[in-house]
Amino acid sequence: MNNHVIETRALTKRYGAKLALDALDLSIAAGHIHAIVGANGAGKSTLFRILLGFLPPSSGSARILGRDSQQLTPEDRGRIGFVNEEHTLPNWMRVSAVADMQRHQYPRWNQRAYDEVIGHYHVLPEQKIGQLSRGERAGFNLALTLAQGPELLVLDEPTLGLDVVAKRAFLESLMYSSATESCTVIYCSHQMEEIERVAENLIILERGRLAHMSAPEEFCARVTHWVADIPFAGPPPAGVPGLLQVQRIDGLHHYLVLDQDEDFAQFLRGAGARTVQCMPVSLDRAVNGFLAKNHAMPAAA
Amino acid sequence: MPRSHALMLQIATGDPRPISKQIVDGVRMKIATAELSPGDQLPSVRGLAQQLTINPNTVAKAYAELTSEGWLESRQGLGLFVATPRQRLSNGERDRRMDEAIQAFVREVAALDYPPERALARLDRALQVLSRKSA
Repeated sequence: MNNHVIETRALTKRYGAKLALDALDLSIAAGHIHAIVGANGAGKSTLFRILLGFLPPSSGSARILGRDSQQLTPEDRGRIGFVNEEHTLPNWMRVSAVADMQRHQYPRWNQRAYDEVIGHYHVLPEQKIGQLSRGERAGFNLALTLAQGPELLVLDEPTLGLDVVAKRAFLESLMYSSATESCTVIYCSHQMEEIERVAENLIILERGRLAHMSAPEEFCARVTHWVADIPFAGPPPAGVPGLLQVQRIDGLHHYLVLDQDEDFAQFLRGAGARTVQCMPVSLDRAVNGFLAKNHAMPAAA
Repeated sequence: MPRSHALMLQIATGDPRPISKQIVDGVRMKIATAELSPGDQLPSVRGLAQQLTINPNTVAKAYAELTSEGWLESRQGLGLFVATPRQRLSNGERDRRMDEAIQAFVREVAALDYPPERALARLDRALQVLSRKSA
């Protein structure tokens, strides 16, 4: 028995000439809340589609809860909860009818978890799905999914388009529900504010590969912000070690760099810096700087 | 009556300090300024997590750090409490900080042009707070 909820080996998905997943090796341990971030096109959605068995890989393997993702049985699927950004539910049905349907669908239905989560929202049983606000639909969707008693809960941008109040209600019902305690949560989001509050493990995907995995604060500590007073042009960007981003603001050079220690100050002084200062960055800045690094950029800065 | 003391603590996302570190700093500061006193009970892990809308494991991590540093102590089955301060500094460091505090005080008093004996009398009275605390 291994205790990885997700395990991919050399997982590759090719759409024509484009590689969406590039020999991805990813192992996610059971328990905790894991956040997955990546720029658009990093391969997150493709990864989920393959893991949930909606899409076959071009090559490599993907296992979810110990099963081959391409051979999931209905019982296996019952152990996985999936909440997507659209919160797709039939608009013409009543809340009570959808809940009844799910209750019959899932043998491990947990009414207490449902009531606990839905209690965060003003949702009436007789309301039609089409009458619910986006935030209420998100809450209802989460209540249904947690009541199913999943061992693994995958949330793909669940709070996208929600207002502040609905977002908070969603996070609360996710983090403090008794049903979440016994399950592994994969939280996919671009919102660093949420990731800081929620995630114990940060997984960064980049161009279909695993770029980083650790506790969020460990990743944050890898990135530092340096400000140097360098007269004239400064060193060529290609020669700057660990460079993520460079900006010239009011005549000062700002460098966002990865995995640099005090030696970087020496480097800047060697490049003609008269003063050098260093400071830590927020998670938001660290992740965005990291993701921006490989974005297509004009050659001359 | 709630058993635990309200913990008036703020955290901010987007800060270079991780949230668990912000909690550690905040609690230390409250103990140092006597807003929290030895024997006060802290909120439960889950309670503080809900108050701040953060993952309970983040609170647990901060509490573990504060406990291992001797700021908090856990009482079996009862929860976490502010510990009775024990000496956390070496004798040398303690003397150095005392010198620093005295120098700062003297500099301020010098600027006030206050007679030393009256300053001393008032300092004596002010310090009685500490002797009462240790009694």
